[in-house]
Amino acid sequence: MSFLEVKDLHVRINDPENEDTREILKGVNLTIKTGETHAIMGPNGTGKSTLSETIMGNPNYEITQGDILIDGQSLVKLPVDERARAGLFLAMQYPVEIKGITNLEFMRAAINARRDDDDQMSIREFLAELDRNLAVLNMSESMTRRYLNEGFSGGEKKRNEILQLMMIKPKFAILDEIDSGLDIDALQVVAKGVNAMASPDFGTLMITHYQRLLNYIKPDFVHVMMDGRIVKTGDAQLAVKLEAEGYAGLRDELGIKAKLVDDDVTEADADDD
Amino acid sequence: MTIKQVPDWFTKRQAAAAKAAASLPMPTFERFDFHRWALDTVAEVPADTTAVPTDLGDQNVVTFGDQTVHVQLSAAMQAQGVIVEDLQTALTAHSDLVEKYLMTTAVKYDEDRLTAFNLAHLNHGLLIYVPANVQVDETLQVLMVQNSLTTTNYFGHVLVIADRSSSVKILQQLETRGDQANHFHLITEVLALENSHIEFTGLDLLHQNTTAYLNRRGYLADDAKIDWALGVFNNGQTIADFDSDLRGKGSDSEVNVVALSGGKQRQCIDTRVTNFAPHSTGNIAQRGVILGSSELVFNGIGQIIKGAHGARANQENRVLMLSDKAHGDANPILLIDENDVLAGHAASVGRVDEHQMYYLMSRGISKPVAQRLVIRGFLGDVLVKLPSEQLRDRMIAVIEGKLKNELAN
Repeated sequence: MSFLEVKDLHVRINDPENEDTREILKGVNLTIKTGETHAIMGPNGTGKSTLSETIMGNPNYEITQGDILIDGQSLVKLPVDERARAGLFLAMQYPVEIKGITNLEFMRAAINARRDDDDQMSIREFLAELDRNLAVLNMSESMTRRYLNEGFSGGEKKRNEILQLMMIKPKFAILDEIDSGLDIDALQVVAKGVNAMASPDFGTLMITHYQRLLNYIKPDFVHVMMDGRIVKTGDAQLAVKLEAEGYAGLRDELGIKAKLVDDDVTEADADDD
Repeated sequence: MTIKQVPDWFTKRQAAAAKAAASLPMPTFERFDFHRWALDTVAEVPADTTAVPTDLGDQNVVTFGDQTVHVQLSAAMQAQGVIVEDLQTALTAHSDLVEKYLMTTAVKYDEDRLTAFNLAHLNHGLLIYVPANVQVDETLQVLMVQNSLTTTNYFGHVLVIADRSSSVKILQQLETRGDQANHFHLITEVLALENSHIEFTGLDLLHQNTTAYLNRRGYLADDAKIDWALGVFNNGQTIADFDSDLRGKGSDSEVNVVALSGGKQRQCIDTRVTNFAPHSTGNIAQRGVILGSSELVFNGIGQIIKGAHGARANQENRVLMLSDKAHGDANPILLIDENDVLAGHAASVGRVDEHQMYYLMSRGISKPVAQRLVIRGFLGDVLVKLPSEQLRDRMIAVIEGKLKNELAN
């Protein structure tokens, strides 16, 4: 069994264009074991994506305090590629497009990056694995010969993220709003892919606004994030409750003073906070 | 071997070139200074006693320094009457053809000091002639190896003529053997006569101690087409002039150039297409990658001459810089003298996209491999336009090899 631990994580975002520095995460604590599925919910702008990007190692986010560890080994000083090879995978909200590199060669490069030079995956083995996963995701083989995400629809990009997840087989996957922009059919397909990964050696952290996703991928734990912290943890029932009552109810119940972006406030008001 | 036993007209033309060379100016390459390379000098060379290496290659034509090692055409090419000859032979066997076209039509010897120099000091050449209505299916492969086993002067000339309604594919590969510092002058004239089609691929792989002046010039008659695919992967100083003159109505030149600069190398590539004729089309697509503390300048020159109604001219020049010490430039130069034309250009000098790097590395791909993939992607636009998959794979292999060396440093 492996552990992904986030300890008292404080993160700042530095935006050189606006000379803006803001603290987004204000002490996040979270432990995920392989075999578990976690969901983080919360209103817009509370730091959910910051958490996922920071765990992965996006250089735009600066850790000012705290630690991120896999099996006791700290990741915070490691570059992105080493974190990935340590077992992390982030299904991104906005996958980039790269012309000139096919999906196929990209995925082979990703898989072989984890293997020794004298133990590279054979093309035959790779294609067999690929065919199995394409079938699960109802994707056509021609998608893999297209350039990486280039000209893909929103739904195709999300599917492609899950395809990579299935090919790479990380220890921990963070799914950052994998459900956004998906119709119900596409959502079911994506969920099927994630569920196919279920094993005692695989842990998931889903980030979402909507309880809907959790009907298809059942979480063991639901965490609610507000104003840069996890403010409540429960089981799947917590998501159902939130869906019924909204975040504002929970905020008031917990006595948190944070503004919700969904509140009808002007930006000037928000700045005054 | 210098060219001997030449017809009268050749002696006269060479003498005129020698005279002109003295007073003509050097060619200019915008935003690039190469006068210290002293390309307009002839080195003092010892008597050449080097033996021709026996392992150069098995291409249709192999040359080494000023010697043509072999010409071996397939039975099909021979049956079709394709002529490939060392210039020495051609001056006797096909003197009329050479007299008519050698530096008279595509490149004129008195354009500048280096064109004049080439003819004045010419010590090697090839004639490639495809008769009218002949379609050559196989690619004619020409390997030209610079002799740097010793100090040499090389002033070479390749004259390609595709006669009316013929078609031919040519792969011209340039290499160096040895590591002596030498100059390499090569003018390649490519004449596409009426309704002919030439696919011309250049693969330039000269050594870092070879300083190159490369001039490839297309001349296109009515409805002729030249597809250029030029990979400039030299390791030494290079000035390259890749031009197409669209003289015939409806003629079409597609120019695709990929270049890499690394180490302390400086390279400048002028790519010009001039629409002289109505309804002619010229498209330029160039991609360059600059590593280390090297320099690469792309000048894209699109010219539409008055009277070229309905002409089209497009160009896209893009340069990717991989280090802070690299220097790059992509200059579109448009000179348009007619109204009812379609002309466009795009140029950029940029760095590796950090979002792309982050995405690739988030999948566990190491930084050097991710960089190589991003570069491949950047060059991909142009690589997909190459005429054959085989050639594309070949170019990719060359690029990967050069990048591996550079990025490892």
